[in-house]
Amino acid sequence: MNLRAFVAFLLLAEAFAVTTFGLGWWAVPIVAALWAAFTHSPRRAGFAALCAATGWGSLLLLNATRGPVGEVAAQLSGVMHVPAPLLYAVTLGFPALLAWSAAAIAARLTRRRAVRTVVA
Amino acid sequence: MKAGVAAIILAVSLFAGFRPIGPLPPLGRLLDPANGVWATAATANLRPVDGARVPGLTSPVDVLVDDRGVPHIFAGTENDAFRALGYVVARDRLFQMETQTRAAAGRLTEWAGPRALETDRDSRSLGLVWGAGKKFASYDKSSPAWGAMMAYAEGVNAWISQMRPRDLPVEYRLLNARPIKWEPIYSLYFFSRMALTLGFNDASLRRLRAQAMVGKEAADALYPVNSPIQEPIQPNGSSAPRQDFVSIPPPGAPDSAARLAATALHSVVAALRMSRPNAYGDALGSNNWAVSPRRSATGNALLAGDPHLDLSLPSVWYEMHLVVPGRLDVAGAGFPGVPGVVIGFNRDVAWTFTNTGSDVNDYFTERVDDDRHPSRYMVDGAWRDLETRVERYRDAGGAVIHTDTLYFTHRGPMTNKSGAWLSMRWTAYDQSQEADNFLRLGHTRSVTEWLGAMRDYVAPTQNGLVADRGGNIAIRSSGRYPIRAGDGRGDLIRDGSISANDWKGALAVEQYPFSLNPPQGFLASANQQPVDPRQNSSYMGSDWYSPWRALRINSLLRADSAVTPDAMRRYQTDPGSARADAFVPLFLAAAANEKTAGRGDSLLERSASLLREWDRRYVRENRRAVLFEAAMQELSRRTWDELRVEKKSKAVEEFTLPEPQLLLALSAQPASAWWNDRRTTVIETRDMILAQSLRAALDSVTRRSGDPEGDRWLWSNVRHANIHHLLRIPAFSALGISMQGGPATLNPTGGSGTQGASWRMVVELGPEVKGWSIYPGGQSGAPASPRYRDRLSKWKSGQLDAVLFPRSASALDRKRVISRLRLEPQ
Repeated sequence: MNLRAFVAFLLLAEAFAVTTFGLGWWAVPIVAALWAAFTHSPRRAGFAALCAATGWGSLLLLNATRGPVGEVAAQLSGVMHVPAPLLYAVTLGFPALLAWSAAAIAARLTRRRAVRTVVA
Repeated sequence: MKAGVAAIILAVSLFAGFRPIGPLPPLGRLLDPANGVWATAATANLRPVDGARVPGLTSPVDVLVDDRGVPHIFAGTENDAFRALGYVVARDRLFQMETQTRAAAGRLTEWAGPRALETDRDSRSLGLVWGAGKKFASYDKSSPAWGAMMAYAEGVNAWISQMRPRDLPVEYRLLNARPIKWEPIYSLYFFSRMALTLGFNDASLRRLRAQAMVGKEAADALYPVNSPIQEPIQPNGSSAPRQDFVSIPPPGAPDSAARLAATALHSVVAALRMSRPNAYGDALGSNNWAVSPRRSATGNALLAGDPHLDLSLPSVWYEMHLVVPGRLDVAGAGFPGVPGVVIGFNRDVAWTFTNTGSDVNDYFTERVDDDRHPSRYMVDGAWRDLETRVERYRDAGGAVIHTDTLYFTHRGPMTNKSGAWLSMRWTAYDQSQEADNFLRLGHTRSVTEWLGAMRDYVAPTQNGLVADRGGNIAIRSSGRYPIRAGDGRGDLIRDGSISANDWKGALAVEQYPFSLNPPQGFLASANQQPVDPRQNSSYMGSDWYSPWRALRINSLLRADSAVTPDAMRRYQTDPGSARADAFVPLFLAAAANEKTAGRGDSLLERSASLLREWDRRYVRENRRAVLFEAAMQELSRRTWDELRVEKKSKAVEEFTLPEPQLLLALSAQPASAWWNDRRTTVIETRDMILAQSLRAALDSVTRRSGDPEGDRWLWSNVRHANIHHLLRIPAFSALGISMQGGPATLNPTGGSGTQGASWRMVVELGPEVKGWSIYPGGQSGAPASPRYRDRLSKWKSGQLDAVLFPRSASALDRKRVISRLRLEPQ
């Protein structure tokens, strides 16, 4: 990953974190779709997924600096009858799925539009 | 292809994000690390410095939270203090407040749907909401409690409206619910609910069930109006307990009329959830006692209290300290949802309560104009209109899932669950202002003022114990005691079609059980019969709790002429048992008698030998209490076999057998027919049954727990406290806590382990009042918070924390402050 890609990665991950913080979880697919619509990277869906997971991971870390995230995970695993590590995985996987799928659809739609424009 | 897969994944993810799937709440809101369940970690700790604006405040309020999680609220006016209290209690316990309200109001279906319908129907048919509504409508709008309830609600709603998404308690997230706006009447719902919890009064049903099986004469003796062992709350001048054993007649013929009545009453009582769990009298009970200066080591009056209730996480109590300079300076415990301290102390007075358990509810058979859809009921030959109330039960979406019509006579709610219409008269429906009573207590300066503040208290009846800095101690069993028609007894179903059967009024406060500075130098209550019937024969109830705890605490206090605060603390978890002191010798004597009579055997000798090794203390390390408890169960089962039936009839389900004190009374009749076990061909006597019980106990415990020297006989492995979360989620609960104490000890444990000391407090009324306290759990209702269960360990080991009681904000040790909250007028 070059510097430019790295900065993009950080900015996009931050965007996911900030919009989730300010608007809610549903901002993830919107940010992913917007980003995918305005970039031309061939791997934008996967990139968006990674950034979304990182963004939510950073929010988790932020919580951990303020309080007992491990305790929450342990209790929640008891409530939902799943191992605590799986909860972390689902928490990071969920935004990744949202971002990947939204970015993939946006990329497809914008590519089709671009092709139409070229043909015209 | 890829876009198609992506579209499917996006659709599924969005659906799971927005919509609940099965029992799972919507995943988006749940997993969102900024605002979802993970964010509860970030709000688990209070912010060191915080601030907010609260509508209605007249001046800024400072709230300093100490390292025990206790808010010290410094306000300019009392109502500002209650606004701040509402704010901080909601911050710590919002879900609990709403759960209690919904339970009392019968609105749990709005969370849980049809699964909670029957619970809600029972709650509403009780008339709690109806009663609270009547009280609220007629409440004196100029009373301090009215203002306090309004201010408290403003504080609660200020917190709710200012909550950030991450502040939402985890339980709401799991239920996919949002908090409701807090209404002032919800405080009254709580009092109604507490009146029910402490109502207990199924004496009528217990006696009727026994009468159905063994006739009236025997039933009257087995469920007596007066306790056969007397050491009453109001000292009777005796320096030892009195045994008032009367001959218990043999079992008589079954009474079919009583069976019909019991069946009808059972349906009502079951719906009211007022029947005592089995062996309740030995497994649950509150204590309080006070020592006058001449019997305390420091020369100051001492007071201790430990109300026992259903244990829960978070606790039913919330600890607080309210300061309004020149007006109020009170610390102690109150209920989330209710403004003010209920049990606690100020600069001059300390007080606490135990439940009196008096008979304050009666049943009446009613004649109605139409059995299916009644509109009128008959009184003295004339029809009276029934009050009706249509109750609608809604689901989470607001749709009506069920409708009920409730009927009310002038006595109270009327139900028909088994073919007969029964109405209930209960003091909890009466016009009363308990919230005012409790608020007044914080202002009192002496025992006399305190007693005055409780003069018009109504329900539930409470043994209020008070001590002051002047060295005075007093106790009074306060509350409304109805005066009945005829023989005055309340443990009978009366004919509602005759107005002469209605209550005739209430006892005057001067007739309440009461004592002030008794010559013995101490006072104690443990739910026992409050007054010696030879001194006051007014009917106050029947079938009283077992007297064992009262006997034990009286003996401890009698033996200690220089009581210290630490001794008061130790007594609260004292492992000694007057019940064991009474029954162990009986078992051992019976074993010896049986041997002498040629009916001994090795099993009996072995079990007697093991029982003899026991020092009769329910400490965790002992291995013999388990044998004694098994023997007591066997004894009760074998002796009262005439009262035990198959669970075919609803009328006898959950039947509680007579209290062990009746067994002791019966032991004075060694050849009584009650000792005979009908299931055998032999005619048994007292000693034979005692010996058989001992043999059977050893046999069953050995089969269950192996070698008597093994660890499975340890009391710590037998008896536990189980403190469930309000939603009974194990991950949020504290289960299997080994406890010191057993049935009938001062720290009684029993059965499911779900009841126990909900609050322990010791106060020394010296020149500077000092208090110590603990309760199981912690101040925060957030399971992830370090303050959720931080007091459990000390509670388990019987330790108390010193209560911080600063006169001003600046007097509070800065090192002990974990958070400062400044509330400003909006």
